[in-house]
Amino acid sequence: MAKQFGVSDQALQGLNNIDTFPFPPDEKAALRFADAMTREAGRVDDGLFDELRRHFSEPQIIEIASVIGTFNYFNRVNNALAMDITLTDPEVLALRIAEALATAPPDPAAACDRVVELLRQGRRYGSVGVLARKGDRLVRLAHRGAEPPAAKDATSATLDPDAVTRMGDRELTVPVHFGAELVGVIEIHNDRPGSIDEEDRILVERVAGLLAPLLGARRPPG
Amino acid sequence: MGRLRRLSPDEVPPGLRDTFRTFLAERGNIPNMFRTMAHRPEIVSTLLAHFRAVMGPGTVPVALKELLAVRVSSLNSCDY
Repeated sequence: MAKQFGVSDQALQGLNNIDTFPFPPDEKAALRFADAMTREAGRVDDGLFDELRRHFSEPQIIEIASVIGTFNYFNRVNNALAMDITLTDPEVLALRIAEALATAPPDPAAACDRVVELLRQGRRYGSVGVLARKGDRLVRLAHRGAEPPAAKDATSATLDPDAVTRMGDRELTVPVHFGAELVGVIEIHNDRPGSIDEEDRILVERVAGLLAPLLGARRPPG
Repeated sequence: MGRLRRLSPDEVPPGLRDTFRTFLAERGNIPNMFRTMAHRPEIVSTLLAHFRAVMGPGTVPVALKELLAVRVSSLNSCDY
């Protein structure tokens, strides 16, 4: 989320070591203020507050203190209630994927890569892969996220013409059929048990339907 | 699983329902925190207004406010 608002990857990494990372002095003072407000229940020493004043007006200090206070509120409520991370609504995500495919580059691997990334971001899957049929084998066309343990040494899998959707509580494998023919497979893996359910199955089967013409057309004739 | 049930747009009062539908149209989801807090519509409505006032207008750069939010959430070990 923060990256959408102009926070760089380097700055996010820098949060691990605020004292040594070259944050500008005003940002460094604000971050130290956030640490003191969060760790010391709001006890901020005069030296730190004077430093904050050197960079920010009184209304700006109110703004900064409110951000820090509001997120402490949110974090405590969310932790206490074991709030689940919010996922993109499956209906909305399926539409976004359909739109992405309509404007995707002609190369199937590049198009699948966009779909895989949308699925992974939208549903916070650990990994998403698309395998496409090549002869009597399945080869990996696109993959994002952690390597699933079972696929470490294989970029291809044997083709199972009777493949059906297989769903565990942390993995989901959905065949892609073009007409009656198997043309590919979508594979999803998660680290958290119980993180894949019926909603995911319906979504990924829909995505398989969207990918079918792309993977079907990719196959050499005969 | 969250400890409290999340409400759907159909289960909340009309004013809040519109807000939820706007979320869905603009972001593709309704944050679970707001759906859960919706058990008390007056709390979630004012919370949303407060959140927007804090993160939206003002003269502190939005990127710095976001950076502070990430830092605080990390200190509180909150993945949400």
